[in-house]
Amino acid sequence: MRILLAEDDPLLGDGLRAGLRQLGFLVDWVRDGDAAERELCAQSYAAAVLDLGLPLKDGMEVLASIRQAGVTLPVLVLTARDAVPDRIRGLDVGADDYVVKPVDLNELAARLRALVRRAHGQPQECLSVQDVALDPAARSVTQAGVPVTLSAREFDLLHALMLNAGRVLSREQLEQHLYSWGQEVESNAIEVHVHHLRRKLGTALIQTVRGVGYTLARDLPKPR
Amino acid sequence: MKMPRSLQGRLLRLVLGLVVGVWLVTAALTWIDARHELDELLDSHLAQAAALLVVQQAVEIDDDRRGADAPTLHRYAPKVAFQVFHEGRLAQRSSNAPAEPMLEFTGHAADGFKTISIGETAWRVFAAHGRERDVQVFVGEQMESRDSILWAVLRSSLGPMLLALPLLALAAWWAVHQGVAPLRLVGRALAQRSPQALQPIAVEGAPSEMTPMLDALNGLFERIAQLLESERRFTADAAHELRTPIAAIRAQAQVALGAAADAERLHALQATLQGCDRATRLVEQLLTLSRLEAGAEHVLVAIDLTALARQVVADAAPLALSKQQTIEVNAVNPCTVRGDATLLSVMIRNLVDNAIRYGPSGATVKLAVSNAQGVVKLILEDSGPGMSSDDMERLGRRFFRVVGSGQEGSGLGWSITRRIAAVHRAVVRVARSESLGGLSVEVSFPA
Repeated sequence: MRILLAEDDPLLGDGLRAGLRQLGFLVDWVRDGDAAERELCAQSYAAAVLDLGLPLKDGMEVLASIRQAGVTLPVLVLTARDAVPDRIRGLDVGADDYVVKPVDLNELAARLRALVRRAHGQPQECLSVQDVALDPAARSVTQAGVPVTLSAREFDLLHALMLNAGRVLSREQLEQHLYSWGQEVESNAIEVHVHHLRRKLGTALIQTVRGVGYTLARDLPKPR
Repeated sequence: MKMPRSLQGRLLRLVLGLVVGVWLVTAALTWIDARHELDELLDSHLAQAAALLVVQQAVEIDDDRRGADAPTLHRYAPKVAFQVFHEGRLAQRSSNAPAEPMLEFTGHAADGFKTISIGETAWRVFAAHGRERDVQVFVGEQMESRDSILWAVLRSSLGPMLLALPLLALAAWWAVHQGVAPLRLVGRALAQRSPQALQPIAVEGAPSEMTPMLDALNGLFERIAQLLESERRFTADAAHELRTPIAAIRAQAQVALGAAADAERLHALQATLQGCDRATRLVEQLLTLSRLEAGAEHVLVAIDLTALARQVVADAAPLALSKQQTIEVNAVNPCTVRGDATLLSVMIRNLVDNAIRYGPSGATVKLAVSNAQGVVKLILEDSGPGMSSDDMERLGRRFFRVVGSGQEGSGLGWSITRRIAAVHRAVVRVARSESLGGLSVEVSFPA
C-alpha cells in the first residue's frame, strides 16, 4: 500500500517512514505543503499522513485545496494541535482521521488500513474474493484456508487488485501501487508479478483485459 | 504574634474616648465654675450672718447670758458655728463652736475670710468686729458642707451622662458597624473568590474613600490575570512544541524495535538519541525563557562585552568551519556594559548560532562590538539568505520559525534574545545587512 507522508520535522519524518515501511507500507515523504499538494494531485496514493504545521503551505490549506480539486483519497491528519476546535476544523475541512502526536506506529498503520478499507467500501479488515482471503494487517494470504506464501510485491499487487475487485486497473496504476520514489520499475515488472501470482493462486483469479490492464472478478461462476 | 487591629474597634475607641474626654473636661469646668459661684454665695452668707451678729451685739449685750450657747435650730446647724466676743471675752457662741476664738485676735485688721482647721475638720471662718463697742464676731462653716453641695451639683448634671455612656457606646458601635459595612462586603467577596476569579470587584455604594483601594486591587487583579494568561499560553505552547520531538523519539524507538537489519536498527537508535538531545535543548530553552519571563531580579555588573563576544565566537567557530563559513570578530577593547554575563553569553550565542545554522556553506558571519560615546553596540551580520520583512516583523514571537529554512529549531531563540535584551534595556534592531547582503542584527546598550 503506497502512502504519502507530509511531515517537515526531519527526525519524525524519518522515523515514520522507516516504521511504516516495516509494517508493509510504501512511503513517499514530502517536507512542505506545496510538495504535498502537488504529489497528492498528481499521483494515486492509497492514503496520506498529513502534518498540519507544514512550511510554505499549512496542512489545513493543503487539505482544503486537494478536496476542492476532487482528490478523494483518505487523509489522516497527524499533528501536535490537540485542541478540540482544531480537531473539529480538521475533520470538517476534509480529514478522514485526526491523530495527535505522539502516536504508536502500529496504531497509525491500523488506522491507515482502516481508512483504505473503508474508502473501498470494505467493512472487514480481511479482504476476500472468491476463495482467496487477504489479511492486510498480518500481510498473509490464504486460498481455501491454505496459507499461500507471497513476496512483498506480489502481496501488494494482490492487495491492490482485491481492493478494487470488479474494476480494471491499468499497468501504470498498479505500478503506482507497488513502487515508491527512487525504486526502479522494470518495464515488464507487473507482468512478471501477475505471472507469479497466477502460478501460486491459479490462472482463473486474475483476468487480463487486453490493452487496458488487469482485473479480479468478485465472483466467478464455478465450472461444473 | 500581634493580633490584627480591627478598624471597627479603633473607630469605636476613638469615638468613645473623645466623648468621655469631652465629658470629663465639661465636668472639670462645671466643678470649677460651681465651686467659685458656691464660694461667693456662701461667703456672702457668712459675711451677712457675721454682720447681723455684730449689729445685734451692738444693740443688746446681755451680760447675764455671757458665754451661753445658742440653741441648735436646724439639723444643718452643727455645720455652722459662731462666736461672739465682747471686750476680749466670749459673749456668745453656738453649741458646736469652741471656747477659744476661731481666729486670733489681731485687732481691727482681723476682718475677712480664712480657712482653718479645728481638730480634723476644715472650717471657713469669717471674722467681723463692731466699731462702737469692742465686739468681735467669728462665723464659721464646715468646708465639708460645701463639698457635698458641689458633689450634688456634679451628680445631678453628670449622672445622666454616666448612665447614657453605655447606650452611647452601643449606638456608636452600631454606627461604626454600619459605616464599615462596605469593607466587610469587599472582604467577604474576596474571601469567597476562587483563585481563578480575577474579574474586577464592584461594590454597590462603595464610599469614595474606598475607591483608591478598590482601583488598586482591580488593577492588581488585571495584572495577575495577564500574567496567568501568558503563563497558560506559554505552557500550552511549550507542551505543544514538545509533542513533535517526543513523537519522533517514539517513532524512532519503535523502528529500532521492529528493525530486521542491524544497520536500520543503528540508524533508528542514533535518531532516537538525536531526538532526546533536541527535546533536552528545547526544555532548556523553555526554562531559560520562563525564568526570564518570571521577571526575576538580575544583578547587573560591569562586563566586558568584547571579551564575551570573543569567547562565544571561539566556541561557535568549529560549527562555522565545518560549513566552510568565515567567521570574524571586529571589536574595540574594552566595551564595558552593565549586564549579566550568563544571559549576555546566551544572547550572543543565539545570534551567532542562528547566523551559522541558517547561513549556507561558504557564508560570512561578522560580529562587531563598538563603543561610541558610551553607547555600546553589538552588530552581527551575515551573508546568508536574510529574511523577508514580514518574517522580520514576526521574529521573536514564541515558536515562530522561518519556513523552508530546512533547519530544526524551536523558534524560542529569538524570544530569549529579545527578553535578555529587555533585561539590559538594550534595543534590538533587525535589518538587511548592507555590506554582506544577509541579515543584520544590532543590539545597542544604553549609555
